[in-house]
Amino acid sequence: MLARKIKEKLFLVAISVATFLTILPLFHILFSVFANGLPVLMRGGIDFVTETLAPPDSELGGIGPAIVGSFVLTFLASLIGLPIAVLTGVYAAEYPNSPIGKAVKTLLLIMMEFPTILVGLFVMNILVLPMGRYSAIAGAFALAIVMMPYVAVYTEQALKEIPFVYREGAFALGLKRAVVVFKIMMSMARKGMITGILIGIAKVAGETAPLLFTAGGSARIYFAGLDQPIGAIPLLIYTLVQQPYENYHQIAWGASLVLMLIFLAIFLPLRLSIKEVKL
Amino acid sequence: MTADKFKLSLLPIASTVFGIFILMLIVFFSASLPIIQKEGLAIYTTNVWKAVEEGEEFYGVLSAIYGSIYTSVVAILIALPLSIGFAVFIIDYAPKKLKEPLIIATDIMAGLPTILYGIWGAFVLVPILRDYIMKPLYEHLSFIPFFSYPPITGYSYLSAGVLLAIMVTPFASAIIREAYRMIPKTYREGAYALGLTRYEATKTLLGYIKPAILAGILLAFGRAIGETVAVSLVVGNTFNIHPSLFASGYTISSLIANQFGNAFIYEYMPSALFASGLALFLIGLVVNIAGLLVLRRWRYAR
Amino acid sequence: MLILVLALILAGCTQQSKPTETKTEQTIYSSGATFPQPQIEKWISLYENVNPNVKIEYTGKGSGGGQNDFKEGLVDFACSDPPVKEKLWRELEKMGQPLQFPIIVGAVVVVYNVPGVEELKLDGKTLADIFMGKIEYWDDPAIKDLNPNVNLPHEKIIVIHRSDSSGTTKIFTTYLCLVSGEFKEKVGSGKIVNWPVDNIGRGLGGKGNAGVVAILKQTPYSIAYIELAYALKENLKMVALRNKAGNYVKANEDTIKSAISAIKAYIPSPEEGYKEDITQFLNADGEKSYPIVAFSHVLLWKIYPKEKAKAIKDFFTWVLTEGQKSENIIEGYVGLPKDVAEISLKAVESIEGI
Repeated sequence: MLARKIKEKLFLVAISVATFLTILPLFHILFSVFANGLPVLMRGGIDFVTETLAPPDSELGGIGPAIVGSFVLTFLASLIGLPIAVLTGVYAAEYPNSPIGKAVKTLLLIMMEFPTILVGLFVMNILVLPMGRYSAIAGAFALAIVMMPYVAVYTEQALKEIPFVYREGAFALGLKRAVVVFKIMMSMARKGMITGILIGIAKVAGETAPLLFTAGGSARIYFAGLDQPIGAIPLLIYTLVQQPYENYHQIAWGASLVLMLIFLAIFLPLRLSIKEVKL
Repeated sequence: MTADKFKLSLLPIASTVFGIFILMLIVFFSASLPIIQKEGLAIYTTNVWKAVEEGEEFYGVLSAIYGSIYTSVVAILIALPLSIGFAVFIIDYAPKKLKEPLIIATDIMAGLPTILYGIWGAFVLVPILRDYIMKPLYEHLSFIPFFSYPPITGYSYLSAGVLLAIMVTPFASAIIREAYRMIPKTYREGAYALGLTRYEATKTLLGYIKPAILAGILLAFGRAIGETVAVSLVVGNTFNIHPSLFASGYTISSLIANQFGNAFIYEYMPSALFASGLALFLIGLVVNIAGLLVLRRWRYAR
Repeated sequence: MLILVLALILAGCTQQSKPTETKTEQTIYSSGATFPQPQIEKWISLYENVNPNVKIEYTGKGSGGGQNDFKEGLVDFACSDPPVKEKLWRELEKMGQPLQFPIIVGAVVVVYNVPGVEELKLDGKTLADIFMGKIEYWDDPAIKDLNPNVNLPHEKIIVIHRSDSSGTTKIFTTYLCLVSGEFKEKVGSGKIVNWPVDNIGRGLGGKGNAGVVAILKQTPYSIAYIELAYALKENLKMVALRNKAGNYVKANEDTIKSAISAIKAYIPSPEEGYKEDITQFLNADGEKSYPIVAFSHVLLWKIYPKEKAKAIKDFFTWVLTEGQKSENIIEGYVGLPKDVAEISLKAVESIEGI
């Protein structure tokens, strides 16, 4: 009897420890980024966000080009990836029983887990080398490939959740299929779809590996053109962390704080307004 | 008739996803061909990195394959108890007010940009692991092979494994939590009616969702093995094959990230790196498909 | 959300176009060796004041990375410490006429992190043995013999090398091959080599000169090879190496200049850059000469689009004239000998724009 009671207590302790250990890193990371990054931002002021990178071992300079780069890349990636992703999701939702529909669904799930570094290599091979330069368009394309599965899966799910009744009603009214899907169902599934889109955006804004061999990185130049190299915050952090200079480490923390704030700004409201997230 | 037109017009777009995927496969296979023709399977079974510009190059990425698998195994060994414990806590034990925030916390962790894990790992986690765990273990228990490598900088399989565990636990936990939540009430009530303690009841219920746990672990493994930036900042990046947790090593993804920048001046290096990428892709594919299959079959069987 | 993004892009673009309202801005992309990087960064920031319309991006990723980018056409120019090899040169010739010439002189120094040891003398053979893994402990008799008055601890030597394709490695390993036949046999020279210490657990790899410095600073009892500028900037302890004349010298402006003045450098025609001999300054004659001195080079094409050609010519003309003046050279580097600078300048002049 006693043995069982002891096991019971131990179990409770074990479970609580497990929970604690699972969640603790998040708070530790948030705390570290804030504690290390905030002083940097305070020192740098608005210049940190607008200026260009300083030489090693000197002042802070800024991460302006990286911020602009991240926005440009995310924007372009959405431009390229969203239409394809949404329409793919529509197809999967509308024709779940067709061989292609089923295969697409599985394929999307597989692609969500695909190592992102390989996506970067792939895009390097087909875009960067032929074009002869690192470019914003290559980086955006790589990000679009990473983004597509998420948005497509969310779209498909959102459409599937609409009660059949509405579809029947729309068809009964004699509307064409295209109109039914695009006008009626998508406006009803709007919330789910926007969730998916924002999740996709939040995810690619923080991605590093796809950009390693595609975007090129840029420390001094904000935006030189679609077919020119461009910077991004995660890429900058990755490069700076590997340097030994103290000022570069500080910039890395500051940039991390900026990135974290951007991510939370998109993700938190999103997450708080929906019930469940599939990542 | 209109239905067909709609389908046909969407078809090319939906197939784009297919197209990209197939294109990726083609690129990887064809880019790997040169090194495989040159070395055969030795590219995967040896640990050599002989990069010469004029002479005989030879590459073997065994060290990277070893490292990828080793770190991912460490990761899921840590993630398994954590994610199960976490799932059980949320469903069974957590007060109502805590449930939602806890789930949101793990969702944030699952989506957090991996570079943030990387910078935290490199500057915060590694020193802590090195000073409080690795050094003491090495001093007292170095006769055990796992602890036998001197922890110098702290960049090691262990650091990578722990960091990966932190990153994939939320993910595995979500799958297990979902399955655990959906166990019909009758089973729970039955267990308690029989007089089982919570511990014993939980054990039984967990046994019921074993496939979901397996699926969660497989998918977590797949995710861990593909992770690049966070790992490359903490694993040490040396061509090692060593059983000790404290040794530094390479993983396939960090090998590619590190070496690709200078690959093209050597005749066979790009091909060698693509071949290792191919290996990563295939391992990831097998593990992920296995995980998805287990999950799907289990969901339909209920 | 979209509006926010568009607004920021516009803000970024206008920020960029504000200072250059009259002329079109030229951007030059480059990458390559970390050996000369601190100097290149200094030149770039000085040149920004001279010619604000030209923006130059330099990414340090190792000589190999630079040659790689240049070959793949990903950058406008690249910096490499060792001359390009003939095989690669022939491939470049298929794409156009490559030019290669020296732009600065630097030195590879051996640095160490041993608490309590402030001065250390080593000769070529001992150095090679350390980096080959033959010498395991800091208080090995070979090291003790050369440093009788130093308190060497009984600790294992951790060897730090480069993990990327590095000109610094090439220079260093070429020197070790010169002074140790065994090293030549067992390891050889190259931008990437198989370090025997890796297999016995005493080797660590760092990315770029900067990466190596980072690891050295956090690893007690380690030893590494880096460019002089990095050692000076980070105040690292340097080894006094035995030169050909038998004296133990540390690298500084005098000892480097002594090495390059001992030999009339053979610089081939920039259009045949692969012919240059990297060993010419290694183990130079001279009482004061530092043994590991080398040029760092730049790789360019002979022909560029008109605007870019002008920008590049202007920049490198400046680098080879103003940039070589001692006030513009940072600690750790030495300007080119006059006759070498002449050859380089002539190469720059030959660049055409179409």
